Amino acid sequence: MKSPAHLFSDFKNVMYKKYGENPGQMLVHTGVLGWILSSLAQVTAVVFNDKISPEQKTFLIPQEAADAFVNIVSFYVITSSFKNLASKLVSTGKLTTKPIKEFLTKQGVNSSEHIGKIGFNIENMANFQDIKSDYKAFKNGVDVVASTAGSIISCNIVTPILRNEYASKQQKKAIAKMHGTDTSELKSPRGISMDTYIKLSSSKYSSGSLKV
Amino acid sequence: MALSGIRTYIMNTPLYKGAVSAYRGAKQKGLDVVPESVYSNEKIIKGIKTTGEKISSAEQRLILGASALMSQPFIDASNKNVDEKTRKVSVARTIAKIIAGTFTGYFIRKGCIKGIKALSQMPGKDVPKWKTIFTPKNAKDNTSDAFLQYRNAIGTVVALVVMMFTNFLIDAPLTKFLTNTFIKHGEDDKK
Repeated sequence: MKSPAHLFSDFKNVMYKKYGENPGQMLVHTGVLGWILSSLAQVTAVVFNDKISPEQKTFLIPQEAADAFVNIVSFYVITSSFKNLASKLVSTGKLTTKPIKEFLTKQGVNSSEHIGKIGFNIENMANFQDIKSDYKAFKNGVDVVASTAGSIISCNIVTPILRNEYASKQQKKAIAKMHGTDTSELKSPRGISMDTYIKLSSSKYSSGSLKV
Repeated sequence: MALSGIRTYIMNTPLYKGAVSAYRGAKQKGLDVVPESVYSNEKIIKGIKTTGEKISSAEQRLILGASALMSQPFIDASNKNVDEKTRKVSVARTIAKIIAGTFTGYFIRKGCIKGIKALSQMPGKDVPKWKTIFTPKNAKDNTSDAFLQYRNAIGTVVALVVMMFTNFLIDAPLTKFLTNTFIKHGEDDKK
């Protein structure tokens, strides 16, 4: 079994190798980790909150866990799709700079046969070293722009809409459970009072996730 | 050994092959949609390259916070499932949450990345050992872009752990304070 010092050394080497040349991927992965830790904190807050009864906890804990699942999955799917598409556009030569295009032309790369084709990758070309530093700097920049754009769309548009939808459905279910009615008979939970809202939002640390 | 056998078996199943082929097809279609672009403007190219070098998770958090202020309050304001008064509280709370989260998120990330920088010096005669605690063994120089990105990554991971606690110690009370301030301000404006 490896010692903690050895494990720490391995961790640093893996981080250096994996993210040193791939800042876009680092932003996606640390973003997911951020959502996981933030959600974990939210669930823990509910678990250890004495003001919430055990009956309420049986409902709130799965709700928080499902909320976390929506946040994490939508963030990862959208952000990594943006990042992967951008990476592929650069590595297949569809999104390039003038020097990279000149390099490709010099190497006899055919526009209709290679450019934008999934099996083609500039990084696998024989003389890639000639353009490596220019290419890597451009690709890292495109990756970072794409993952930031993906994060904006996911965190600020898709996730809040999905969460509002989900919260409204959960609220309907809870009301149905309280009154013993079928959810399909319920109208949308209009007219929640100010007092109820404040009471609900103060029973846990946040009414949505506090994004870290 | 057994695991690699299972892997090979799965990879040879028609279902797996079909899924891979469909995935590749979808990916190719995605690539086909985007027109070919060649950037020749030096300023644009330099801007893209600088973004890759300089934008760490801290700056990204700042960008996310600024754009969140431009979208999330409007999403909450158009939520027809609650009454008007509740909607206003919800908007105030969202704005407060974004400000508090962005403030702590940016400064804690920035601080941790700076801290990691101090603790990831290259080993040398005048460098104490504790200043190399986060230096990876396979790193050859600490001025390369790869090394700077490594520092950002480690700093961000440390910041995320720190924020698990500050989420409750700073964000939650600050959000509550700002929400109450915004609601009070809104009520005062009405009078």
